[in-house]
Amino acid sequence: MPPPADDNHRRRKPTLNRRDLLHGRLWKLVRLPDRPSPVMRYPKTRDDVDNSASESKTAPPRSIGGIAIEPVRPTLFDESPPAKSFPIFRPPGAVEESQFLAGCTRCRDCSDACPHDAIVQAPERLGQVAGTPTIDADTNACLMCDGLPCITACKPGVLNHSLPKTIGTATITEHLCLAHHSTTCTVCSERCPTQGVIEVTDGKPTINEDQCTGCGVCRYVCPAPENAILLMPLFNRPSLPR
Amino acid sequence: MDSKRRGFLKSAAMAAAGSMVLGDATFSLPVLGAADAPTDGDALTWNKAPCRFCGTGCHVQVGVHEGRVVAVAGDKAADVNKGLLCVKGYHVGGILYGEDRLTKPLLRKDGKLVPIEWDEAIDIIAKRIMDAPEKFAFYGSGQWTIPEGYAAQKLMKGGLSNNHIDPNARLCMASAVTGFLATYGVDEPAGCYADLDACDVLITWGNNPAEMHPVLFSRVTDRRSRGEKVRIIDISTRRTRTTDAANDYLEMDPHGDVAIALGIMNQLIESNSYDKDFVEKHCAFRSPESESPTLQGQAISEDEFRKRIAAYTPERVEELSGVPADQIRMLGKLFGQRDLRITSLWCMGMNQHTMGTAINSLVHGVHLLSGHFGRPGDAPTSLTGQPSACGTVREVGTLAHALPGGRLVAKPDHRAQCEGFWNLPAGRINATPGYHTVKMFDQFTLPTDEGGDINTLFVQVTNPGQTLPNLNKLFNDKEKLKDKFLIVSEVYPTATTQLADLILPAALWVEKNGIYGNSERRTQQWFKMVDPPGEARDDTWMTIAIAHRLLELGHEGMKDKDGEFIFAVKDDQGQEIPIWEFEHYYDTNVDKHLFEEYRQFTTMKHKNLAPYDEYVKARGLRWPVVQQDDGSWRETKFRFAGFDDPFVAEGKEFDFYHSTSGDGRAQIWFHDYQPPPEVPDEEYPMWLCTGRVLEHWHTGTMTRRLPQLNRAMPTAYVEMNLQDALAQNIRQGETVLIESRRGTTELPVWIDGRGRPPRGTVFVPFFDETKLINNCTLDEHDPFSKQPDYKKCAVRVRKLNEASS
Ligand code: SF4
Repeated sequence: MPPPADDNHRRRKPTLNRRDLLHGRLWKLVRLPDRPSPVMRYPKTRDDVDNSASESKTAPPRSIGGIAIEPVRPTLFDESPPAKSFPIFRPPGAVEESQFLAGCTRCRDCSDACPHDAIVQAPERLGQVAGTPTIDADTNACLMCDGLPCITACKPGVLNHSLPKTIGTATITEHLCLAHHSTTCTVCSERCPTQGVIEVTDGKPTINEDQCTGCGVCRYVCPAPENAILLMPLFNRPSLPR
Repeated sequence: MDSKRRGFLKSAAMAAAGSMVLGDATFSLPVLGAADAPTDGDALTWNKAPCRFCGTGCHVQVGVHEGRVVAVAGDKAADVNKGLLCVKGYHVGGILYGEDRLTKPLLRKDGKLVPIEWDEAIDIIAKRIMDAPEKFAFYGSGQWTIPEGYAAQKLMKGGLSNNHIDPNARLCMASAVTGFLATYGVDEPAGCYADLDACDVLITWGNNPAEMHPVLFSRVTDRRSRGEKVRIIDISTRRTRTTDAANDYLEMDPHGDVAIALGIMNQLIESNSYDKDFVEKHCAFRSPESESPTLQGQAISEDEFRKRIAAYTPERVEELSGVPADQIRMLGKLFGQRDLRITSLWCMGMNQHTMGTAINSLVHGVHLLSGHFGRPGDAPTSLTGQPSACGTVREVGTLAHALPGGRLVAKPDHRAQCEGFWNLPAGRINATPGYHTVKMFDQFTLPTDEGGDINTLFVQVTNPGQTLPNLNKLFNDKEKLKDKFLIVSEVYPTATTQLADLILPAALWVEKNGIYGNSERRTQQWFKMVDPPGEARDDTWMTIAIAHRLLELGHEGMKDKDGEFIFAVKDDQGQEIPIWEFEHYYDTNVDKHLFEEYRQFTTMKHKNLAPYDEYVKARGLRWPVVQQDDGSWRETKFRFAGFDDPFVAEGKEFDFYHSTSGDGRAQIWFHDYQPPPEVPDEEYPMWLCTGRVLEHWHTGTMTRRLPQLNRAMPTAYVEMNLQDALAQNIRQGETVLIESRRGTTELPVWIDGRGRPPRGTVFVPFFDETKLINNCTLDEHDPFSKQPDYKKCAVRVRKLNEASS
C-alpha cells in the first residue's frame, strides 16, 4: 500500500506574494532539485543479524603446531603470475604490502598491544592475507594513540616508526550525510582525532583528504541511516630497503 | 595529532564500552546496503506516524514487513518536516527492538523481581488503591498519548475524586503555560512553525534549536542557503551549535534574560518606538500583587508601567545580565522597527527558571508592546521538549490543578461541566488541587509517620528516577521505605524501575494506537502497526483494566450516574465490549472512543478539534479546527489574528477572546528582576547548566539502545572552559567530580567541544543513566508554575585525586 494521500497538503506550484516580491525572494520560484532522502532500513528479522554466515564453512587448513601441512601446489610457469594483493587496512606504519605479507609472522603482538582492540586478524576467506593484522572501522576504529604501541610491538618491523602513519582516506558521501541534507549533525568533526582534517562550513562537513590518516573514527561514529563515510585503504605504501 | 582531543575520545570510547546499556550486548542494527534494501513494492506496508521523540512533531513513514518495523523515512507530505528528520528521527524504528525490552510484569519479592501474570499485577494495584484511594498518586508524561492521558485523568479526577495526578511536563513547560495564561488568558502559542518561514529576525532566548529542534532550525538555515537574509540573534549563557549559525551572540549571565526583556521594553518606551496603536487597541498593563502574587495580577496604568520600566536602563541591564548596554539598545531598536518580522523562540532556558512565569510573560510583553505580533513571522513562540506536552498535558490538563479543555478543579462551574460530560453525580470531582510533581515525590519519599501521605505511586511513560531534580532527596529515599509502593510502566529497565516494586511492560509507539499534540497546536494521529513484544500492553489499557478491577472490588467512583462503568464502550448492538480484557482491547478503536469523548471538552477555550477520522487523513491539524460550510475541516495557523482565526469577530484585526481582563486585551506584564536562588560562591564557584544533546532523547532509555546513536554520543560529559580547566590543571578527557551541596557525580571533561561555556560555567547533559547530574541540581521552583530550575545552581569541579584525599 502506498503512503495514504494527504488532504492536508497539496504540492503547490511555486508562487510569490507581495512581501516576497518586495524582498526579492525570487528563489521561491525555483523548485529545488530532489535529492533522494535517506531511508533508515532495519533487518527484517533477528536472523538477518546472525553473522555466522559470513564465517567460512570450509574446514581449517591442516597444521601441526601452527605450521601448515597442506600440500603446496607446484609452480606452473606457464600460468599468469599470482594475483596481486588487494588493498587492505593495515595498522599505522605498515610497510609496502608484498613486503608486509612476507615479513608479518601473524604473531598478533600488534593486536595485543592495541588498547582499543581495533587491530584484528583478517578472516579466513581473505586467502593469503588471512591471519594478518587489519583494522575494521565498523567494529572499532584506530584512535592513532600516543606512541603507537602497535608499531613498537611489531618485532619483524613490518610496522615501522619510520614510515607514514596514514592507513587510508575517508571521504564523505554527500547524499548520505545528514548535515548535507541540512539537518544538524557534527559528530564526525567533533570526534576526529586529527585536528583540522574535518572542516565544517555552514554546518556541512568536508574532509581534507591530504591530512586524513584514515583512522576510521568518523566512520565508526557516523549516525546516518546509511554510513556517509567512505573509507578507502591506501593503495600504495612505501617499501623499506631490505 | 592533538592529544587533548584524543584524550576525550579515548575516555568516551571506554565509557561506551563499560556502559550499563551496551554491556555485553550483541544486538546490532547493521545498515543494509542498497542492494539488500526491500523495495517499496516488496510486501512492505508504509504508514504515517509522528516521531516518538521531540516536540517538533515531525512525521515519519514507517515501513512494516511481516509484523516488524523494517524501515523509517521522513514523510514528504508532512508540513512540519517536509521529508526531513533529525539524527534521532531516522533511528526511531530501532527503539522497538532493544534486547532488554520488558515483556512480563515483574513484582519485587524479598528484593528480587519475579515475573507474575497480568491479572495478579492489576489486582495488586487495584487493592492498594482500594485500601487508601486518597494516598494514590499518578505520575504521567508529555509522552503520554492523548487517550492515555485522558484515561488517567478520568480515572483519577472523575473516578477516584483524587487530584494527585501530575506529569513530567511539570518539569519542562509548566512556566510556558503560566506565561501564556497570564498574558492571553489561554494556553499555547498564537503563531506556528510557518513563522519561521517568514521571519526576518529569529531570536533564540536561551535555547539551542540547532540541536534540540534541529528540523525546525533547518527551516531557517535552509532559507539562508537559498539566498534569503535571516538574522539570527542568539541570547544564551554558553556558545552552542545555534551560536555557530547566529549573526549575533549575546552572552548573558544566568537569569539575565529577565533583565534583557525589561531592557528592551525600556528602550521601546524611551525612544517612543513602541506600537502605540496596537497597545492602545489590544493591550493592558499588569503587574504581580505586592502581597501574595497570583497569575491574575493587578492592573496598572500605562504611566505606572512607564515609571517602573524606567529603572531598567541599558546600563542597569548590563549590570544584571552581563550583556553590554549597546546590545540592549540594538535589541530595542530592532523591536522598534515595524517593517521587520521578528520571531522569538524559547524552550527550557526560560521555562526551567525560578522566574519562569515572569520571563515568559515578559517576552510576550516585548512582542505585544512592539506590535511584533500576529503577522506571519512576528511571533513569540514557545517550543516544547516532549512530543505531546501540548496535546496531552496542556490540553487534556493532566496536571494536579487542571481538568480537560483548560478547566480548573478549583472552579465550581468547571467541575460541574466535567461531571456533565462524564455523566457523573454532582460533587464527584474534588475541588482541592492535588500535589504537583516536586510535592508529590516529596510526600512519597517522606516516611508515613512524618506526614508522607502518598503511599502508592503509578508512573507511566517517564523516568523520574533520572529526571527529578535533587534526586537524593526526591527519589532515592524511597528505597528505605518499605510501606511505599512504586509501580512503573516501562519499555526498558531504567533508573526508575530500579526502585520499582511492580514493573509493567508497556507497548511502545507504533505498537499501539496513539495521538500526539506538538508544539504548534498540531494534533497527530497514528495506528498500531506491529504487535508489542511478549506480554507488553498499552498504557491506556492498564488504566482501564485497573478501573474495571476497582469496579469489581466495589469502588463506587468507577460508576457514572446511571451505574455504568466510566470507561464503558458499546458496540453497535448496545453490548458493552470488555475492553478491560486485553484480548478484546483491539475489538474496537478505544483511542477513537476516548478522543471523541474528549473533543467535547475542547470548545470552551476555543481549542476545537476535528473528529478522529479527519486526523487519520491528515499529517496533523492545528487547532482550532472548525468545520466549513462545505463540510470540510479547516485548521488555524495564527490565533487571535482576524485574517486567520475563525473565532475573531468579523471585522476585527485582533481579538484576545480569552483576555483575563474580559475586554479582548492581552496583558503586558511588569516583573522586577530577582536574583537566582543559588549563586556561585567561594565554596561552590561555578554555575552548572544541564540539558539535552542532539543524539539522545531525554534520559536515553530508548536512544541509548541504538548502537549508532550511542556510538555518536557514548557518554555524558562536562563541558568546561579552557581557562577554567587550565587553572585547575584538568586535562581533556580527564574524569572529574562535580559537587554541589546536594550531591556529586563523576564525568569526563570536554573542553571546547560542542558547546563552549564561558569562564565559571559548566554544562552537563542529563541523558546518561550512569552519570546522574540531577544528583546535583536544585529543587527550587517557580512560585506560579512549580517548575524547578535545572539550568542554574552552584557547583565545584574537583580532580578525582584531590577529591579522594
Ligand atoms: S526528534 Fe524531533 S526533530 Fe528529530 S525527527 Fe523526531 S520530531 Fe523531528
